[in-house]
Amino acid sequence: MANENVSVWTSIPFWRRSAAWVTGFATILLIWLTFDTLGQISMGTDADLKNGVKKRVPAPTVINYHIDYKMDAKRGHEVPVIGEKQLFFGKEWSEKEAAELLHLGKLTSQAKNCMNCHTLLGNGAYYAPDLTKAWLDPAWQKGGPLQAMTGKNTVEEAMAEFLQHPSQYPTHARMMPDLGITAEEAKGLVAFLKHMSSIDTNGFPRNFSKTVEQFKTGGTNAH
Amino acid sequence: MFEPFTDVVPSFFGWLNQGPLTLTLFLHTIIILPMIWIYFDEKKKLNKK
Repeated sequence: MANENVSVWTSIPFWRRSAAWVTGFATILLIWLTFDTLGQISMGTDADLKNGVKKRVPAPTVINYHIDYKMDAKRGHEVPVIGEKQLFFGKEWSEKEAAELLHLGKLTSQAKNCMNCHTLLGNGAYYAPDLTKAWLDPAWQKGGPLQAMTGKNTVEEAMAEFLQHPSQYPTHARMMPDLGITAEEAKGLVAFLKHMSSIDTNGFPRNFSKTVEQFKTGGTNAH
Repeated sequence: MFEPFTDVVPSFFGWLNQGPLTLTLFLHTIIILPMIWIYFDEKKKLNKK
């Protein structure tokens, strides 16, 4: 005779089947997500840039373009806007040159362990400012205090000068140590930073504009 | 309730995560509904014993 009052909640097969279902489904979802991510993070080409095809990660030749950061009302955060052509260290870089420079910058960022203090694309520390959008920081633009302190006229030259002699420039309460970065490595690092700023990070780091206002009023990120 | 797709690169997951509600609806459909089915299936089995 069937017992209508039997409890399913104390039945082990019920929990086993539920757990198997959730675990199995989550596994498939995560594998799918992994492959989906590969498409999201694959780098665009020079042709994409020329044809205005938007990729989350643009080609290395993006260093030849002006990069802006504009609020996108629809998406609810700022997005990088790749604009007109702009010389980088006084020249236009070919695909090969740009790729090599960016590679040098990446290797240097790893060799000098930037992430030990800074954050790059969400990885690293918050001992020093987040560098994900450092290229777009108004403090480095014309008239900004960081560019002014180096006595240079462009963002890239100012950043490169600072990177070679960081301990000479008073920036934050926690000053950056001299890491023995050469002129060529500094160029690579600046290219690396410029390229990084052009990556669509879905608005990361959040509240960048708030930081901009902070910089405009003479404040800093490090306290 | 459903917001227009605004992501850079079209993706199923981009659509899924446009807001908390789309994700909630999806996870409930995919996890809770089968669990309800498992529940009644187990209940039927237990009643047969």
